[in-house]
Amino acid sequence: MTAIRVRINGGEVADDVPPRLSLADFLRERRNLTGTHLGCEHGVCGACTVLVDGEPARSCLTLAVACDERAVETIEGFAGDPVIAALRRTFHQRHALQCGYCTPAMLITARDLILRQRAGSEREIRDGLAGNICRCTGYTNIVTAIAEAANEIAKEAPNAQ
Amino acid sequence: MKAPPVDYIRPRSLTEALDLLANAGAEGRVIAGGQSLLAMMNLRLASPGLLIDIARLPELLTAADHDDAVTLGACVTHAAIEDGRVADPSHGLMPRVAATLAYRAIRTRGTIGGSLALADPAAEWPAVLSALDAEVILYGSSGRRELKCTEFTTGIFQTKLAENEIIESARVPKLSAETRCGYVKLCRKSGEFANALAVVVADPRRGYWRVVCGAANGAPLVLANTSRLVAEAPRDPDALRGTIGSDLDHASDRHFDEFQRNLHTVAAVRAVQQVLV
Amino acid sequence: MPNDQYGVGASLLRKEDDRHLHGRGQFVPDIKLPGTMDVAFVRSPHAHARIRSIAVAPELRGRVFTAPDLPRIKPIRITSHATGTKAPAWPPLATDKARYVGEAIAACIAPSRGEAEDLANAVAVDFEVLDAVVDAPRDMHGSRHLIHEQWGDNLYVERVVEGGDIEAAARAAEITVTRQFRMQRQSGAPLEGRAVLAYRDHRLDEVVVYASTQTPHTLRVALGEFLDIEARCIRVVAPDVGGGFGPKARLYPEEIILAALALQLDHPVRWVEDRGEHLLTAAHTRDHHYKVTAYADRQGRILGVDAEIVVDAGAYGLWPQGPYQEAAMAARNLPGPYTIANYRARHYTVATNKAPLGPYRGVGRPGACFAIERIVDEVARAVGRDPVEVRAENMVRSEEMPFTTVGGMRLDNGDYKESVRLCAELLDLPGIRARQQKGEPDGRLVGIGFAAFAEQTAHGAAEFVARGAAIIPGFESCTARILPDGSVVLMVGIQSHGQGLETTLSQIAAHELGIDPARISVRHGDTESTAFGFGTFASRSMVMSGGAVARASRMLRDKLCRIGAHLLQCDPAQVRCAEGAVLGPQGSVSIAEIALVAHLRMDGLPPGVDPLLDATATYEPAIGTGVFSYATHGAVVAVDPETGFIDLLDFAVAEDCGTMVNPMIVEGQIRGGVVQGIGTALYEEIPYDEAGQPLTGTLADYLVPGAAELPAIKIGHLHTPAAATEYGMKGMGEGGAVAPPAAIANAVRDALASIGAEVNETPITPRRVMAAIRKAREAAAQP
Repeated sequence: MTAIRVRINGGEVADDVPPRLSLADFLRERRNLTGTHLGCEHGVCGACTVLVDGEPARSCLTLAVACDERAVETIEGFAGDPVIAALRRTFHQRHALQCGYCTPAMLITARDLILRQRAGSEREIRDGLAGNICRCTGYTNIVTAIAEAANEIAKEAPNAQ
Repeated sequence: MKAPPVDYIRPRSLTEALDLLANAGAEGRVIAGGQSLLAMMNLRLASPGLLIDIARLPELLTAADHDDAVTLGACVTHAAIEDGRVADPSHGLMPRVAATLAYRAIRTRGTIGGSLALADPAAEWPAVLSALDAEVILYGSSGRRELKCTEFTTGIFQTKLAENEIIESARVPKLSAETRCGYVKLCRKSGEFANALAVVVADPRRGYWRVVCGAANGAPLVLANTSRLVAEAPRDPDALRGTIGSDLDHASDRHFDEFQRNLHTVAAVRAVQQVLV
Repeated sequence: MPNDQYGVGASLLRKEDDRHLHGRGQFVPDIKLPGTMDVAFVRSPHAHARIRSIAVAPELRGRVFTAPDLPRIKPIRITSHATGTKAPAWPPLATDKARYVGEAIAACIAPSRGEAEDLANAVAVDFEVLDAVVDAPRDMHGSRHLIHEQWGDNLYVERVVEGGDIEAAARAAEITVTRQFRMQRQSGAPLEGRAVLAYRDHRLDEVVVYASTQTPHTLRVALGEFLDIEARCIRVVAPDVGGGFGPKARLYPEEIILAALALQLDHPVRWVEDRGEHLLTAAHTRDHHYKVTAYADRQGRILGVDAEIVVDAGAYGLWPQGPYQEAAMAARNLPGPYTIANYRARHYTVATNKAPLGPYRGVGRPGACFAIERIVDEVARAVGRDPVEVRAENMVRSEEMPFTTVGGMRLDNGDYKESVRLCAELLDLPGIRARQQKGEPDGRLVGIGFAAFAEQTAHGAAEFVARGAAIIPGFESCTARILPDGSVVLMVGIQSHGQGLETTLSQIAAHELGIDPARISVRHGDTESTAFGFGTFASRSMVMSGGAVARASRMLRDKLCRIGAHLLQCDPAQVRCAEGAVLGPQGSVSIAEIALVAHLRMDGLPPGVDPLLDATATYEPAIGTGVFSYATHGAVVAVDPETGFIDLLDFAVAEDCGTMVNPMIVEGQIRGGVVQGIGTALYEEIPYDEAGQPLTGTLADYLVPGAAELPAIKIGHLHTPAAATEYGMKGMGEGGAVAPPAAIANAVRDALASIGAEVNETPITPRRVMAAIRKAREAAAQP
């Protein structure tokens, strides 16, 4: 067992974990943050995507012990985050989710695309979603929802461009 | 699957890391981004006894901009290269390549050193750095040594990395401003491993031309005759195809079936065409 | 809120969304119970082997369970009422023989999944490896390697579907076209794999089984049968389920084993499969072989079709229906929406040493559509005419309907030709032809292809009886309950795993009761709180469950009107339900007030009216043979003739599913199905080697389409309401997945027309394209 201190959704967490424990399992099994999902555990499907130090990362390919002294954000966080709020609105309005399993990771990936200004066109958004599999929606509505949220965000903060 | 049991330690310095590696013997394995190693452990295809985490070692995160080269620390991430957050010796080629590598969430953790050390035949960096005539700087119990990338990678998942040695950095010569580069990655699904990879660097000012094929059933393949032909700005497409095919056929350490041979040929032709215009 | 904003036909936004957008969905692995132990299985590494011994070290006893350690488990048995079918008994934990790579041999429990896997690796099994049966067409009539020794061959069943006189058609034909088609084996691959959490509830004397399943009530039936427990002592709950698509509508050995472990060990046990397990052992799908001959006249009018269909069904049949439906469905759907009068289809369902085959969106129809739509295009090319025209000319006309095809499908109504025309319009067919004339600057070849089909939905008892099915999913149920405060609960036997049924069923109740859907809760997936129902599959939920909701809601509506009229002191004929109230000629009384009277102030009830507002109804479709939605799909591709790589430039669907309860959700189902069909067409396969080893094991080699590979999916609608369902609805959940392989293959054929290359196998990979191009060039070079 290894002692770790991780900042999760803004709160300090101290725990003792087996080194082999993935960040995904640490969040799901030890912190009861089950919004992060597992679909493959080899980094392809994207359902486990969280933010580590502000950047998207595969929690299935990240060890919990490697997150010592790092900041992790999961779908349960983002309180007050305007980009996630806009995305939640447009995903709902555009029917961009069906079973909901890929949705938390889609939102986190989409937020990253918008913040890095990689959501400017349908092509760009589709390329940016390459690492997030959805088996239900066929992606059309997800792309529309992200484009709309990106527009909303761009209008609200034109000086931040 | 879940990874098998393993121990973990995060040294605070490079020297400490090497000591740990030496003491651990065959059971010890360095881990940087872990994007390949942890995937293998999750499939129970790898079961090291001790993971030595080097991802945060400041010595490995440097990016030094010299007169004629850029030295990138082994733990510089693909995303850092993609975003242009580190000096770029390649006038855009490396960021362009980085953007096609797996997915963003992998790129934020995966490292250039990790890619070189693993030597997955379908990986991008071994082929690109071979095309750029880069060197790896290795650091081990017997000190530092440098090897050309073309010599460093010897086969599928095989390199000249010695026991108790790690990749410290990659030193990439700076391309002239007028350099033209070609890069073709053929795959069906965005972000997957390449089915064929071709990289062309044409830097007449430095008298340097090189054509490399990756995802080629072995170490990255330098197409020697094609490289010389590119220097002559060939106009005859059949001659180009023929020279490429002959270079592929002369790779004695590997075999291509008809489909693969054709695919590598087409990738190389198209990469060359990006350069000639 | 006026009814047209939330009733039938409204694109009401989904109630399900909120929890998922906040990561508060509750999938089986999200449920935490103290004392839960995780399970990992020892699985066979061999496709076909005798198990000589299983060595479990003494210190592992009590943590490793083989078949003798769980004696209450009975082998899974399928009852088929069709003659001539064979049904092997399937022990959930293998005993004497392993019959496919991945078959479960022992269950290991530990405090975490990783530790359970460590245990599984410590169990040593001694095998005598046998030759594997992997080639269904080659090995079906018996070989040296029988999978089920008592059979004498490797055939589950063989049958013929025929009509008219195929020999006469063959004689009369001016054109004869013969082709072989192949749809490779694949996975359903929902993003959430299978999962089971089971524990004993002593207070209720039940074993509680949470399962990621589409069919909770029938799972309870199975658990009762194979564990010998009364149904009243079993509770099955399907919470949030991360995609099902068919593979989760069948019983799995792991579900029985987990329930047995919970009963024996008296602490919660959990099994969450990983992706490798899913690709290996969850229902495999598709895997059809076709040999088809079409007989036609010089105009391209198809006189007859003669076919041989082989389905590779794997080592066991999946309960309850077994493997028999796939080939039979393919044979009955092969004539498509065409007026072909003469037909013969011999079909064979073969046992092989592979994971069992199960249903997946479309079931037998994608394969049948692939075969017939490709052959229609080849007939057109043989007579030198446009496939779009020849297709439309062979189709049944609306005035001819209802029309029973020679395959036995009673097509109820619709304008199939119009769907062809509309699809071509959505893709701008003349524009594509002009683009093809011009050529692409980069040398790629553009092609356009179409495929049409009819989708039998909401079929009832008669259809399943005709199939010899073991259980007859011919109805659905709903209990509608108005609570003392006037809020509403609908308890239904189906299970929603992405289809938005919590929203759409509320719309139906809202439509009938005049109550805001925001005041209606839908309870599904739990055997404890819902009357018996069969679950969500076969594109049945809106028609069947929606029908039951409508009937139960009307029963409540009638009672509300009686009580309301009494409170308003008028005649029940003078009142109606709307706007959350019962409205009379003078004044209204709210549903809440009526509910209060019905529960807390029964002194206000009219004489002869009992308390409570509770109604249970079942629904069966009036037409047992189903109602048919239909569509034409079209694809535009660019093929790189130098590499064989294919870009999908555009895709359109022109469809008709009658009345749409929620058009937004209908379009979501179409697009989702289409992308799965594109996966079948271009990416997904599980190849096996000669030893029966599957050659894909991760999502790095099993490719699933991502957003970057796809265009936006265009949709056009026709509206022909069904004659005999509530509101004229037809099912449509699977249709999207049926036609893309055919449409894309026809588009590739069109793109490569100048070369003459055909790819008649899915997925259409670059290798297969290059092989087809080479073959065509070699054939052209011959004198």
